Amino acid sequence: MSQLTRRNFVRLAVASGALIAANEGFESQALAGTIRTQTGRDFSPETGTERKAIPTSCWQCVTRDSMIGFVEDGRLVKLEGNPKSIRGEGFICARGQAGINHVYDPDRILYPMKRAGARGSGKWKRISWDKALNELAGRLKKLRDQGHPEKFLFHYGRMKASSSALIKGTFLKAYGTKTIGNHTSICEGGKWSAQEMTWGGHYDNWDIDRTKFILNFGSNILETHTNHIPVAHRIMRAKVDRGVRMVTFDVRMSNTAAKSDEWMPIKPGTDQAVLLAMCNVILNKGLTKGAGADFLKFVKCTAKHDDSVATKIAALKKHCAPYTPQWAAKKSGVPASKITSLAVEFATTKPACLLTYRGAVAHYNGNEAERAAQMLAAITGNIDNPGGRCKAVGAGWKYPKGPKAPKTKGLKINDGHPDKGHPGHAAYPTHHMSHWTLKMIKDGSAGRPEVAMWYCYTPAYANGETSENIRILKDEKLLPFVVASDPFYGDSTMYTDMILPDATYLERWDCEDMVDPNQIGEYYIRQPLVKPLGEARDLGDVVCELAERMGFPLGVKSKEDFVKKACEKTPGVKEAGGFEYMKKHGVWHDPNAEPRFFSYKEVILDPKKQVCKVGGYVYTDLEDPEGICPYFGDDVLYDRQAGVWWHWRASKAKNAQEAGKKGFYSSKGAYKGYVGTKLGNIVYAGFRPDKINKSGFLELYSEPLKKKGFNPLPTWMEAPEHQKMKSNELILTTFKVCVMTHSRSTNCKWLTEIYHENRAWVNSKTASARGIKDGDKITVKSAVGSFKTKAHVTENIVTGVVAVSHHLGHWAYGRYASGNKAPLGRDDDPDLKQQFWNVYGTHPNWAIPNAPDPINGQQRWMDTVVTVRKG
Amino acid sequence: MKHALQINNEVVIELTLQRSTVYGCLARIYRKEITADFLPSIRDPQFLGVLSDLGSGLDAAWFQRPEGAVIEDLAIEYARLFLGPDKHISPHESIHHERGDGDWGSFWGASTVDVKKFIEAAGMQYREDYRDLPDHISVELEFMQKITEGERNAWEEEDTAGALYCLNMEKQFLEEHLVKWIPRFCDAITSQAKLPFYREMATITKRFIAFEKENIDAYISEAHRGKRR
Repeated sequence: MSQLTRRNFVRLAVASGALIAANEGFESQALAGTIRTQTGRDFSPETGTERKAIPTSCWQCVTRDSMIGFVEDGRLVKLEGNPKSIRGEGFICARGQAGINHVYDPDRILYPMKRAGARGSGKWKRISWDKALNELAGRLKKLRDQGHPEKFLFHYGRMKASSSALIKGTFLKAYGTKTIGNHTSICEGGKWSAQEMTWGGHYDNWDIDRTKFILNFGSNILETHTNHIPVAHRIMRAKVDRGVRMVTFDVRMSNTAAKSDEWMPIKPGTDQAVLLAMCNVILNKGLTKGAGADFLKFVKCTAKHDDSVATKIAALKKHCAPYTPQWAAKKSGVPASKITSLAVEFATTKPACLLTYRGAVAHYNGNEAERAAQMLAAITGNIDNPGGRCKAVGAGWKYPKGPKAPKTKGLKINDGHPDKGHPGHAAYPTHHMSHWTLKMIKDGSAGRPEVAMWYCYTPAYANGETSENIRILKDEKLLPFVVASDPFYGDSTMYTDMILPDATYLERWDCEDMVDPNQIGEYYIRQPLVKPLGEARDLGDVVCELAERMGFPLGVKSKEDFVKKACEKTPGVKEAGGFEYMKKHGVWHDPNAEPRFFSYKEVILDPKKQVCKVGGYVYTDLEDPEGICPYFGDDVLYDRQAGVWWHWRASKAKNAQEAGKKGFYSSKGAYKGYVGTKLGNIVYAGFRPDKINKSGFLELYSEPLKKKGFNPLPTWMEAPEHQKMKSNELILTTFKVCVMTHSRSTNCKWLTEIYHENRAWVNSKTASARGIKDGDKITVKSAVGSFKTKAHVTENIVTGVVAVSHHLGHWAYGRYASGNKAPLGRDDDPDLKQQFWNVYGTHPNWAIPNAPDPINGQQRWMDTVVTVRKG
Repeated sequence: MKHALQINNEVVIELTLQRSTVYGCLARIYRKEITADFLPSIRDPQFLGVLSDLGSGLDAAWFQRPEGAVIEDLAIEYARLFLGPDKHISPHESIHHERGDGDWGSFWGASTVDVKKFIEAAGMQYREDYRDLPDHISVELEFMQKITEGERNAWEEEDTAGALYCLNMEKQFLEEHLVKWIPRFCDAITSQAKLPFYREMATITKRFIAFEKENIDAYISEAHRGKRR
């Protein structure tokens, strides 16, 4: 008999159809029921009983993937991606799947606890919620009544969307403090600041689904990223389905570099040199023609925003002239020929997408590296275009408004040191300098908080200079009262006075809004999969009660109430079915929405076409096509220097005259009144400024930087300490792996089973020069501290570098993370007996100084000069 | 939110119906002996013609003998091949599926448990009047018939996600079970059958499973492409 061909198969099917048409009834069948095709439903493979499938969202990292949690008999048994999500398309990572471990961690804190010995001694007693809240509310109310709400420091590590809107935007605002710390400067804040200096509101979404070439500087995107899985799985799809080429620059062959078509080994802190040299090549070869030149109309390249494109190109060409590929090759170790060929490939493959992340930006010159990246993308026309580096689009939730708030006050302890020239000073720390907050508290010149609260934050572990952090946290003179809202007994929580047991993210409500790679915007929620264990409570619920106790009710009873009201208020979500719809499906997006590209080209006013959009109104009956101002109203001024129409009342100016005289660039807060950017006689949406008074052009020539004495165009900077390195010194860099988040995942036993030892990567030449062999014990030492680990001697890292991941080496955080049992920790997890590992890795931050990028304040994780010795 | 289905829906529905039909027909053939109700369909010139075109060696004249004689001969052959009591070829996966853990070669083995769990986890139950073991070849083929029916329903409702759910289940069951033992089982029948009918049915079954294995990834890719459009 011949093979079954498609044609024969069809004939067989027809014949088979005749056979089974013979009516023999059900007795010829063995099975009953119907296949359940509804996705999101599942049945236990063990018992066959139905598992309740509940849509929710992850929170292991900031990506916050949409998920489905499966609950069987009240116990969470499984997490998987929500296939209805257009962001994640049903995918989540290993970290996401291990989220279950948080809920059932035997070292979870289930009751409020109060310190019963010296701070950090580990002596605690259980207290009631009533007592805990009474004490906290009493202390906070006293400060507020004394007119010093700013003496309440609230410092969070991860707080997004509705949690941020309720806790920060409503509770802390109504309380009156703006002494609020975050953690962005130890993450990627510098990248965002550099974007704010160039194209305004931060976050670049990479349109992988439409790109034809990916050039990556220092993003370990396949292992970890702020939008990890939604982007990572699109990259793999682009590579496999469309053969899209990807080239990765990294000091180390990360898994991302390994999966790229080419790994370009590069010396730490020299990404900027290569980026500048690529611009040099493209400008000299005239490859800006077409998309690049067209886009440059919207770019400020000189002091004059209305220069011709030819003048702009000439100015950039002149600026980049010293940055030859040969010059960059000496700095970076990347061959000049490779810099040239990749520059040409990037400029001639349309569209191409430029990726950057901490590998490029967590340096002394990180701000300038990101600005150079913006320049490379701009001159090739790969900005906000299909397949390029785009302005991010997310959900726009409408949250309930809180009570009328007093004028907030803040201690100036979260933005680094105010004195120019001080090592802790930065020119524009627009995402704050949380790594300098403890130093400012120690310094005391800007005042000290009397009550400090950590929420999802571990200042001792997450920042550099671990020893100093611990000393400050233990000092009751510097920090008189510290409280933590934490589900776990973490490395900093142990140095507090009171612990409020927080719900894990799988036990609480939230609206979520992370960037959508489709450029559409997806609304999604987090809902509890199980009730919080023990007496754990979501801080969102706790602040509602705290506010009530202090006499300023927030207008919502709980986080659930807040989320419900947001669902009923938010256009689109509301019409889809509001809260009930979101509880059932977890996600919503506008099915008619088109991906948003070229947002800067939106016309705000075109007198000839009779279009004018101001304040939500669209005017079409323009009587005076030459006039503009009447349609914007008297409060909107045109600033000739910036080429910007702006609403002067957003600034601190007393009147329009004063504002006009001072000008857009120099009026504090003017960016908040930005209306549009004028090109010819048309006003465009342009690149709306955020946090900084830049114009509506993409500013490669930065007026704000010029004002602070920096070169306005992206200019090579080199870390001072790198210029005077001795021959025996190395640069310490850090990295993340695909099964861990920075500091919040080592208590997840499934993950720690996989990753519990972090050896230091050292090139074989670097190692042999120090007599170090693979597996040898080594000591890494810097000016601020040292740590010990073992050497991983490899060719997959450049010479002159030692690289250590930063997830491990906890001294608390429970038995899976550190081997240490938490107070009141239970022994009811059978897997405690299965734990085969007794090593917990090392933490590199003991040796990393808290040092900011001088422009934006970003913590320089990748610049530390160290010595490495055997032993 | 349902993803808009833009691939040719009618073609997909037709294809899924055809696959379902073949699985259903084969399931019936192995399920029990040929009955008087069923025989006319086999004797139908259309059926025999198709088999002949496929290269089958079935003799149409043999089937045109008196109904009772044909049924009797086929029943004896069915019993000899699949039931015993002498040496026979047990139509159960746990006998033939050579597992890495060595747990095979007997009734109610690890494969039986796997198949039962799989089927029940998919939302199906064994009928109360079904008395044979859970991993009988007819059950496995019938299960594939049901999943492909589920897939067809999903396509008809333009529920691409649901269709993909079924397709992934089809692939998993096909690769974890059918492919692991049915080809070997069919070879045994082909070599030991005395009457052409079961020999040819075994050949067709083997060819069909191979055809399915070859094409299942393409079906899934096509569905993914439709989903992304």
